[in-house]
Amino acid sequence: MKKVLLLLSLFIIAILSANAATMPVDTGKVGTGADPKDPPLIFSGSVDTYWKYDFSGHGNIPTSFASDQNSVSIGMVDLGVKKKVGKAAFVGELSFGPRSDQSIPTSGYHIQNLYVSYDVTDKFNLSAGYMSTFIGYEVISPTGNFNYSTSYLFTNGPFQNAGFKATYAFSDKVSLMAGIFNNYWNTYTSFRTVGNTTTSGDVSTFGAQLTVTPAKGWTAYLNVATGSYSGTEFDLTTAYQITDAFKLGLNAATFSAPNSGGGFDGVALYPQLAVSKVVTLGLRGEYFEYKSVGTTPSSNVTGLTATANIKAGAITLIPEIRFDNKSSAFPIGFVDSNGASTNSATQFLIAAVYAF
Amino acid sequence: MLLIQTVYGQKSLLALDEHDKYIYYQVVSQPGASADSLDKKALGFVKESLPKSSVKTTGDTTIILKDRFVTYSVLAFAKHESGEIKFTLTIECKNDKYRYWLTDFVFIPYEKNRYGVFVPSNGVEIPIEKSSSHVDKKEAEGYLDQTGAFCKQLGDQLKSYMLADHPTNKKTEQQPVVKKVVTDKW
Repeated sequence: MKKVLLLLSLFIIAILSANAATMPVDTGKVGTGADPKDPPLIFSGSVDTYWKYDFSGHGNIPTSFASDQNSVSIGMVDLGVKKKVGKAAFVGELSFGPRSDQSIPTSGYHIQNLYVSYDVTDKFNLSAGYMSTFIGYEVISPTGNFNYSTSYLFTNGPFQNAGFKATYAFSDKVSLMAGIFNNYWNTYTSFRTVGNTTTSGDVSTFGAQLTVTPAKGWTAYLNVATGSYSGTEFDLTTAYQITDAFKLGLNAATFSAPNSGGGFDGVALYPQLAVSKVVTLGLRGEYFEYKSVGTTPSSNVTGLTATANIKAGAITLIPEIRFDNKSSAFPIGFVDSNGASTNSATQFLIAAVYAF
Repeated sequence: MLLIQTVYGQKSLLALDEHDKYIYYQVVSQPGASADSLDKKALGFVKESLPKSSVKTTGDTTIILKDRFVTYSVLAFAKHESGEIKFTLTIECKNDKYRYWLTDFVFIPYEKNRYGVFVPSNGVEIPIEKSSSHVDKKEAEGYLDQTGAFCKQLGDQLKSYMLADHPTNKKTEQQPVVKKVVTDKW
């Protein structure tokens, strides 16, 4: 433990000392607005690594990713490419590593996003392919989340929705997306199971997203995904940059599994405060509940996560401490340092994310 | 490397106006050109080169428009949008000369969304004069360099356009000549 802390300290010193200079920049073409006449092929991506320690000495808190206990572990390498020429665009995004493996539905596949897009008009867009889900506040990529660990709402919701969607912007404050997606979430192809046989699939999940911008810096998304195979989830995701320094996010969702198979409800609040140019502090407070189903009663867990983002050029250092407390009926158990069942767990982690 | 050299040091092209705002200001002589003709050319330039800008004309020979340009960060082989800079361009024309200036520079950083696309960060707008209080010094200087380079590039294009002739009548298209042969007589 002491050796690990010493190594981590040296690692932190190295990170903070890194002269991660802003790379030379390039001008966009003249007359482009936000749409260059001759845009380049866009490359982007990230790599991440972490060390996590549950104070019980055991691996508790089973939310997505960062699952290793007391190990300097890796997340993933994420590589994306995008090109837009005129009205047509494509995005391809690959990932490799444990975080990728835990987020990808098919072993051996590595695609996070793969879709084509066409601007029929300035206001109307069509997209089709395999895309990150439109539902929820948190995402798979560590660069898209403030907290390094993930919420129960994220873990239990969809990761990807493959399908076809149309988006219309009524104004710069209101837009609507509607689409049809593969019958199951998180699958590259749709399929149906008949007895012990997997047969051809079904594109039968309907999804919609209403986006509103009530005020400058405030965007809210009202989402629904519903289908006979995937169940129905209603979701509200919103974030408001209230001042230059303070941002408040909220995620609330309710899910009903098909065939009265239960579901979940949850709400999470994300206040963040930028205390300097390089340091932002944030909290995540979450309440998550599994609905009762049959004779199984409802159960719940509350989580409080305190996180800092410390930026050093392209690297973000993320120290985080998390306290989870569950009801006894919660289906996933925690254990204490003696290996006995307990209702609470506390974890500390430190992660480094490099984005390019 | 040439591209990098072009961008470095372009911050010096910018000055501070009486309100301590960054400005790129140029007065250009064009002897023999009337104010009206210069104004028409300026409007033509705006329509061709800045088609998505919001244009407002005040008086007979003043054009004010708002637009933005995208900034890119370059890291070896990897290149992506890092943000956009909004600006206001004003063009005023008189007989034999015109002047133009770009100011009101505001940086909007981009962030990568869940679909792998870089989009403006919600609610974050940084006047370029205050960028050093939000980002590190090198990054802030990079934005100023990019702004200076963009202003020079736009200004050079404007000057070229103003000097060139832009006939209003379209030339009639010449039909391609197709040779014909008569094979029944020889």
